[in-house]
Amino acid sequence: MFIHNFKYALKTLFRDKMLIFWTFAFPIILGTFFNMAFSNIENSEKLEIIDIAIVDNDEFQNNELYKEALKTLSDEGNADRLFNTRYVTEEEAKQLLEKNEITGYMILEEDTPKVVVTTSGINETILKYVVEEITTNGQIVESLMDKEINKELSSGNYNLYNLDYKKIYENVLEKTQNQEVRITNISNNNLSYTMIEFYTLIAMACLYGGILGMVAINKNLANMSSNGKRVSVAPTTKGKVIFSSILASYITQLVGLTLLFIYTIFVLKVDYGTNLPLIILLGIVGSLAGLSMGLAIGTILKTNENVKTGIVIAVTMLGCFLSGMMGITMKYIIDTNAPIINKINPASMITDGFYSLYYYDTLDRYYFNIISLLIFSIIMILISYTSLRRQKFENL
Amino acid sequence: MSPDAYDIKAKLGVVFQDVAVFEELTVYENIDYFCGLYIKDKEKRKQYIEEAIDLVGLEEFKKYHPKQLSGGLLRRLNIACGIAHKPKLIFLDEPTVAVDPQSRNNILNGIQKLRDGGATIVYTTHYMEEVEIICDRIIILDKGKVLATGTTDELKELAKIEEKVTVEVNGLSPQYLEAIRKLENVDEVTYNGNILLVTYKKGKNNLVELIDYLKKESIRYNKIYSERPTLNDVFLELTGKELRD
Repeated sequence: MFIHNFKYALKTLFRDKMLIFWTFAFPIILGTFFNMAFSNIENSEKLEIIDIAIVDNDEFQNNELYKEALKTLSDEGNADRLFNTRYVTEEEAKQLLEKNEITGYMILEEDTPKVVVTTSGINETILKYVVEEITTNGQIVESLMDKEINKELSSGNYNLYNLDYKKIYENVLEKTQNQEVRITNISNNNLSYTMIEFYTLIAMACLYGGILGMVAINKNLANMSSNGKRVSVAPTTKGKVIFSSILASYITQLVGLTLLFIYTIFVLKVDYGTNLPLIILLGIVGSLAGLSMGLAIGTILKTNENVKTGIVIAVTMLGCFLSGMMGITMKYIIDTNAPIINKINPASMITDGFYSLYYYDTLDRYYFNIISLLIFSIIMILISYTSLRRQKFENL
Repeated sequence: MSPDAYDIKAKLGVVFQDVAVFEELTVYENIDYFCGLYIKDKEKRKQYIEEAIDLVGLEEFKKYHPKQLSGGLLRRLNIACGIAHKPKLIFLDEPTVAVDPQSRNNILNGIQKLRDGGATIVYTTHYMEEVEIICDRIIILDKGKVLATGTTDELKELAKIEEKVTVEVNGLSPQYLEAIRKLENVDEVTYNGNILLVTYKKGKNNLVELIDYLKKESIRYNKIYSERPTLNDVFLELTGKELRD
């Protein structure tokens, strides 16, 4: 029964022209347009060195981490130089910003960095992400220091009074030094409009799985379609029929995603870098999030399939817009003003997962996004399950 | 019936009023899919599908998709999907709505074959002539209430009229109509266009008396015939003649 239904669910999905368009063709068409539109911008816009200011207060002077990192990133002899940095007072920084002489400035207050900008744009986003990156690395150094100290103490060779803190710090810094350089390189290479657009494109393709999830529900529920009525009077368990249809939808979705990857890599020559397996994993989990969102929309809304399809597309497009599809600025605005939106926006979780693979050397943020997507999927599936469990029909 | 009453569900066949088939599957695949929800054995299923296709006369359309079928053929496919698994009890909800006479004839023949094969059929329709052809027992429902039950003859007994005489006659004046109204057993007289319809409360040979009257008054007519009341008359009698939504 399961295989019988699964086989026919696959057949109906692959022969449904509307679904094939939205799942397979539309992302590919959009990707082609992105490639045409943004490759020209990309060629004309080389990464410029960004003018910034640092408030040179006591806290900054006492914070080796930020001091060293920003010095390296502003070093004229560094091929990966990112910033042209001025060390000024807070008042001067404000004036420079008002006169548009700098993109923004950073001030350390109680060891917490605060980035001040007046507008939103790619340079402002870079400044924000780099400061975040330094903070993350600082936490890594702190954690490694703790570990090293504990290791030395437990070895019995040292006690708290004769520990060589300087040596430990230098060892830890040496360990992280290479990583920092690599992070900088990666960041420079990938600060690309095209890549950002392709991340959101993949996020969109993942979330379009919602249409497939919604169709799987619609075709099997008595109150949703005529076919559902027929299925509901057959001697089959609802769970088996629906699960086999959902599995078929998920496989169809993954086939669509695979085609998109193949097309973008081999035809559009998009370079996803060395983390392709992790990108694919993110795509697989993102597709699950999209599918489960469609299931929830399919079960909760009592309206016809076309309206539901429209809602899934609208939700997806809105999510992608907020996560930066029509300009990275939007993601920055949301992150700054209403971060909760992007915390619950699956499109944002997917794109953020992609960004984190390039902007961060550790995978913590990547896995955080993966786990967030899984939690989102579980919640959506639970909502659908609860809604389905409650459905009983007096008449058909 | 609870949703998990699988033993009972396995013996049921339902043909819904809305055509319930997959646009993406062929005629054969549609029947196979729905039959497969009941019959696991592939060989047995194949045989059942062929029999269902024969029953509704879709042999030439096995590889067609629903969009390529006419309304009548689509209805026939809808029926095949609902009965291919050989159910013991079949519910058919207005299966002949908006179909051509050939398809209707085919569908009614198919239903009679199913009945003759031993299936119990619950057939819902507004077409009373179909009821007269295929139904053994009839229930007349109006707004969810049972108004009458019985065989065709039993229900016809419920009609207040016993005989209907129709006459094709031109220019009948009101005084003649009044005189006809006063003839023995006459219940109602209507005259629309050139058709005179006289209904009788009782008696089975009222036609002779009417012919005698027309002859006596030298009224010339083209055609005259007598009918027993139909189920349609019974239905109208029981449910009223006012228009419904």
